[in-house]
Amino acid sequence: MGDYVVFHDVSWHASYAVYFFVVGICAGLSFFSFLSWHKPSLRPVREKSAYLSFALLAVAGLLLISDLSQPLRFLNVLNPAYLNFTSPLAWGSLNIVTFGLASAAYLFMLRKGDEKWGRTLAWVTALLALGLPIYTGYDLTAHQSRPVWNTPVIPVLFVALAVASGSAVASLLAMGNEAARNMLRLYLLWSTAAVAVILVSILGTTNYGGSAEELTFIVLTTRTMGAIFIGLGIVAGTAAPIAMLLAPFGRRQAGLMFAALLVLVGSAALRYALLMGPQYVQTLY
Amino acid sequence: MSEELRTSPIETRGLAGKKRYAMVVDTRRCIGCMACQVACKAEYDTPLGVNRTWVPYKVVGTYPNVKKHFLPRLCNHCDDPPCVRACPVEATYKVEDGGFVLQRYERCIGCRSCMAACPYNARFMLPAHRTYTAITSVVDKCTFCFHRVTQGLVPACVQTCIGRSRVFGDINDPTSEVSYLVATNATQVLRPEQGTKPHVFYIAGDRSQMEFGRDAYQRREVMDQERRMFERNFKA
Repeated sequence: MGDYVVFHDVSWHASYAVYFFVVGICAGLSFFSFLSWHKPSLRPVREKSAYLSFALLAVAGLLLISDLSQPLRFLNVLNPAYLNFTSPLAWGSLNIVTFGLASAAYLFMLRKGDEKWGRTLAWVTALLALGLPIYTGYDLTAHQSRPVWNTPVIPVLFVALAVASGSAVASLLAMGNEAARNMLRLYLLWSTAAVAVILVSILGTTNYGGSAEELTFIVLTTRTMGAIFIGLGIVAGTAAPIAMLLAPFGRRQAGLMFAALLVLVGSAALRYALLMGPQYVQTLY
Repeated sequence: MSEELRTSPIETRGLAGKKRYAMVVDTRRCIGCMACQVACKAEYDTPLGVNRTWVPYKVVGTYPNVKKHFLPRLCNHCDDPPCVRACPVEATYKVEDGGFVLQRYERCIGCRSCMAACPYNARFMLPAHRTYTAITSVVDKCTFCFHRVTQGLVPACVQTCIGRSRVFGDINDPTSEVSYLVATNATQVLRPEQGTKPHVFYIAGDRSQMEFGRDAYQRREVMDQERRMFERNFKA
């Protein structure tokens, strides 16, 4: 009664969650393009994954730049005189640039048909791609004052989400090829299962945390955010595809496609909820 | 602070030959006149919807025994500021002699990492359009009135405080008033568990305001008003 609290805007808006989603798929596809050099069954997705990954990197870069309130100053992040290496964003920007250069070189070798350099650059690109979900997760984890973000498993969760959403898109790309589909089904199943395990651990530790953690748990599990996080993210986007992929229906093309679409919807919802939910309590402090 | 407790090289509390400015807020003396907030707005032409300093209050007790608790808020000019660590381009930095945490407007890219890193909501984004200045679309915050303090004045909020609730000075100087107040009163800082070592000390701060309360989940009408004002101002 009669309390006065000043409204504070959240630091990062939903566009950042879209960036997480796009860059996650980009990293996942790059990984599957690399894997195709070692698993012959994935050969049909090699070029498609590499091209789509590069296109999504361009989209992700534009999203990231447009999200800055001073978009033209993104060059400051590449200025060695300004770079602050205690910031995860500084490492992330270097990671994105080197990944982009390696991807371009890899695509060039793919077009040229140079197997030796193609294989080497696929490995370099996949290694740099691994850095993308790790840095985006670390970007949140570094903010130790925010519940959920401050759990050290967030980068691991983002890696699992990248593999899950990457294998979902690769499954759609491999439509019609049974060998590739069977292989991608396994990756989709196990990466989504890993996401489920990490989510259970995050929810558990959050619920047993201090008052900010408890309030964040309530925010994440009730009302609109609850519908997004629990409904779309966990039930529809994680549990349902796992059940579907384990069932005989999931071994068929239609089942895999459906599960892949659910995983994509779920991974987008999870990223949105994990970004926005933990910021809510802070706006009231 | 003794040498052993200094965990990061950026910390200057207790460092010989260096000033370390701090503010003590005696909440028993605060009457909630908001003059500090107005003085700050006047000093910096801070736009509508955002504040460098603000004074939230909470009504506690049951009628007729009710009381308003005020908790003046501002940047805590932490000795180990997470915002400085988080900024990718060193647009935010700490002045070694004085401990001011300041912002380089011309370098800020507007990524809001510093806002996310601050446990105190002390930072805000300036709107894209302002009348009297070209400093727009970058992060801004309280500067402890760096421009006044370096000329021997106290910050605008301290100058105007009618109840002398806000006291400012060099905590590294054992003869200063802030050193005396911190040494002779039980003081609290906001969210000490974050390890930021804030340099705004509160005397008799109300716990329900200093920590996350369970009622934080209840949306208040005033929050909606504030949110509408913020959105209207920032769309303009």
